[in-house]
Amino acid sequence: MANETGNNTRLGIFVLAGLLALIMAFYMIGKNNNLFGSSFELHTRFPNLNGLIVGNNVLFAGIQGGTVKSIRLISDTSIEVTMTIDDKVRTFIHKNALAAIGTDGLMGNKVVNISAGKGASPLVDNGDMLGTQKMVSTDDMLQTLSTTNNNIAVISAELKATALRINQSAVWDVLNDRSIGKSLKTSLKNIAKATANASQISLAISNMVTRAGNGKGALGVLLADTVAGGDLKSAIAKIKTAGNNADQMTANLNALVLKIDKDLTGGKGSLNAMLKDSVIAQNLKKSMDNIQKGTDAFNQDMEALKHNFLFSGYFKKLEKEKAKQQNKKN
Amino acid sequence: MHGFATKTRFFLNETGSLSRFTARFFSVGVKPRYEVKELLAQCYIIGYKSLPLIALTAFIMGLVLTMQLRPSLVVYGVESKLPIMIGIAIVREIGPVITALIFAGKIASSIGAELGSMKVTEQIDAMEVSGTNPYKYLVATRVMAATLMLPVLTVLGDAICLFGAYIGVNMHTVTSYRLFIAQVFQDLTFGDFLPAFIKTFFFGFAVGAIGCYKGYYSSKGTRGVGNSANAAVVLASVMIFVIDLLAVQITDLLGLN
Repeated sequence: MANETGNNTRLGIFVLAGLLALIMAFYMIGKNNNLFGSSFELHTRFPNLNGLIVGNNVLFAGIQGGTVKSIRLISDTSIEVTMTIDDKVRTFIHKNALAAIGTDGLMGNKVVNISAGKGASPLVDNGDMLGTQKMVSTDDMLQTLSTTNNNIAVISAELKATALRINQSAVWDVLNDRSIGKSLKTSLKNIAKATANASQISLAISNMVTRAGNGKGALGVLLADTVAGGDLKSAIAKIKTAGNNADQMTANLNALVLKIDKDLTGGKGSLNAMLKDSVIAQNLKKSMDNIQKGTDAFNQDMEALKHNFLFSGYFKKLEKEKAKQQNKKN
Repeated sequence: MHGFATKTRFFLNETGSLSRFTARFFSVGVKPRYEVKELLAQCYIIGYKSLPLIALTAFIMGLVLTMQLRPSLVVYGVESKLPIMIGIAIVREIGPVITALIFAGKIASSIGAELGSMKVTEQIDAMEVSGTNPYKYLVATRVMAATLMLPVLTVLGDAICLFGAYIGVNMHTVTSYRLFIAQVFQDLTFGDFLPAFIKTFFFGFAVGAIGCYKGYYSSKGTRGVGNSANAAVVLASVMIFVIDLLAVQITDLLGLN
């Protein structure tokens, strides 16, 4: 009897476990289908459902918010979709929210996407009609892709022609020439060297400028020494004064020359007489001749005097002294 | 030609006999007085004692199925759909059918052998003499127990199978159990679950009825007992597939697929 009770207990546990698993499965499936928990309904009308069926998910802002409850044909261009929406998302859906048919993944089930509209709007009520939004469907995408493909074909043909032309052109030879590369390399090296030099030079200049700024070197003195500056200033002032004087002198000289010129042309003054009067000139010439003759005679007189005994001693003594001085020098 | 006619007649005879035997369950078995104590005992033997075997096979089935499915899904780049595919495969078909087949192998043979040996040792005849309805006591309780226990075993088997699948998924990638379960149930609907669950009652009923029938009408001798046990398993297994075929067509007609 005790054994039987034990068996029955085990059987009870077994059946309960089975029931529990069953309830869990029911709950899990039911949760996805909004069978439990409070919900409300929303309607929307699409011109084309693109394969949406009853039971498909309704996503609000990408979150599972409900399921499609029913689909009803209104006219050939309008199909009404009734959605069961979880009460939990009710406080987030506004009257201006937009519904659109999308796909779960690239090839997955169809879903209704509800997205928030722009601007303020009151919250939805049970049975409200939502506006719709056209989503990019796979067909549209393929159509666009077809156009893109045609464009790509045209572009690639053009590119091919261009590439062939480039291949045949001189530019390609230039690009293919290796020596150009080498020379370019060398040029670049030279440029690098030149740049280095320039950099050194600029460094030196910079040093110089720094030194000059610090008052070192001649330039520095020039630039920095205020005393020298003062001197230079006064020197320049003096040069200026000298210049002015020179100007004055030149003016005087000019006036003199003008006057002389006037005198000369007018035949006045002693200079004019000296330069222009021919009689005076002849007289002067005669006088000069006479003076020459006089001096010649005087020379002869003097020679004669040398040889005179009265004076010969003196001249001999003069000669001796002259010779003595010469010996000293030698 | 003569042999074919005999075989055909034998087959038709068997079918009619089995139908009559099954019909007796509804005429005799469901009426009071109920053998509650015997029913519970049979439930314990048929249900509880089958659990370890069902659990082991279900676990292995889930693991192997996942590992076998994965390469094909990887080829198409839909590896992430593995839990959904496994979930649908297990809940819709593999769970109920594999569990029912294992159940048939264990229960139909044991019932067939038990009732067969009782028949051979004339215990059934003795029961009839003593005033107890052997059909009510032996057959109705076993058929009822099998009908009630197989759905329970199937649900538990599905759960264990999914656990095996979870381990199979985790052998290559890391998936949390919550994500796996969420993915499994993401696309499951009652249309997937309920028909599969309901058909397990029919599977259980078929296994119990065929096991009892083969044992109840066992031929004499120890060989007869072995034969009835063997025939019970074979016929029960075939019947499971026949019922499965019918079930899928009915659900299709009802638009539940």
